[in-house]
Amino acid sequence: MNNSQRPIARKSGLVVQEVPDEVLVYDLESNKAHCLNQSAAMIWKSCDGNNSVSEIAKLVESQAGGKVTEDFVWLAIDQLSENNLLEKPVASSFEGTSRREVIKKIGLASVVAVPVIASLVAPQSALAAASCTCVNPPSCSNTPNLGCPSTTRCNSSGLCAP
Amino acid sequence: MSHPQEITDEYRFYLLRKRLAENLILGAFRGFRREGIEPILIKGWAADRNYPASRPRFFGDIDLAVSAADFDAARKLISSGSTIGGVDLHRELEHLDTLGWESLISNSQVVKLEGEDIRILCAEDHLRVMCVHWLTDGGERRERLWDIFYAVQNRPAEFDWSKCVDVVSETRRQWIITSIGIAHKYLDLDLSGIPFAEEARDLPVWLTRCLEREWARNLEIRPLHSQLKYPLGLLRQVRKRIPPNPIQATINCEGDFRKRTRVGYQIRDMFKRILPGIKRISNTIVEKPS
Repeated sequence: MNNSQRPIARKSGLVVQEVPDEVLVYDLESNKAHCLNQSAAMIWKSCDGNNSVSEIAKLVESQAGGKVTEDFVWLAIDQLSENNLLEKPVASSFEGTSRREVIKKIGLASVVAVPVIASLVAPQSALAAASCTCVNPPSCSNTPNLGCPSTTRCNSSGLCAP
Repeated sequence: MSHPQEITDEYRFYLLRKRLAENLILGAFRGFRREGIEPILIKGWAADRNYPASRPRFFGDIDLAVSAADFDAARKLISSGSTIGGVDLHRELEHLDTLGWESLISNSQVVKLEGEDIRILCAEDHLRVMCVHWLTDGGERRERLWDIFYAVQNRPAEFDWSKCVDVVSETRRQWIITSIGIAHKYLDLDLSGIPFAEEARDLPVWLTRCLEREWARNLEIRPLHSQLKYPLGLLRQVRKRIPPNPIQATINCEGDFRKRTRVGYQIRDMFKRILPGIKRISNTIVEKPS
């Protein structure tokens, strides 16, 4: 585990919306939506390429008002990397340990909510309303930035979706 | 912006889509203005402004109308790979309204979005346009009836009904009143304080029957050429079109809802659609989509 790494949060190709206690992120490249809880969002915002993992831990600790370990930060970075929310992917720091075990270990020791990044599934009503309608696969590539689940597939319901 | 107490995934998705639409709107207005084109935003985000914050309204592409003189330049700008994307471009308001472009522009209002001026129709013109648009779809999109509901329910205090319904033909006036009547019948829209409330309550029986049939069928109309690869879907779409939706046919023929029969409109509508339909289908077949 290299705690001197200075991860950088990805900014381009994302739509970000803050709501109380969480940050919502839409990835325009993968057409996936994520929900970051407060802890994950704080860590993501601290990934500016200047802060090391230890520094991020201290920063988050001062904001969250509870003990934050480097493992805690790594847990968030791991998920951020997996969901392509960092400029460059970061190798998982929990080789040989399942995330569930890590969460259990950190969760028991921490009063601050464990960082979680959840995936959001688009409701069908949203897809139909969003004009994700298509004639054939190429017509899905003509609907950039609409957040349709696919830009290459036109399904049997006439929607740009798998 | 206030949020509901319990935030669901559907609401989260709505917030993201709204943000996405706002980015598209900002990009489009900035891009068009750089070229000296002044668009008007209709439906979508403009309709969402009437909704309560806790009520998600999903929308995707953005509908922008530009003057007939600017239309070709605007279309070129969109296809040139500029930053303008996700735009459904309208040449003025075409069939959606008969009020002149100059009047629509002079009535229009400007609202702020992240410091940018966004031009939208005034509340009276917008309600009229949304009513006609809803009817143009044959009333099949029940969810979109809420646009009319909230536009009436949350209309500004200074809303002038005569500016909304008395500036178009008697036929179109009836269309607007009928749409509001439908929102009253099916969504319980409060008609008190509306000068034509009695007229709105008096809906033609054929029309409510047609709506209820469409909603029960729950099959959205899709272009036939989009269904060529799916025989069952194609068959359903053909069946949906025969006979043509009487509401849609009436609107397409600038017809009167109070006339005794729809047959004339339906026949005319079918003939109007046949040739362009065949053209689209043959183009799709020639393109041989993957």
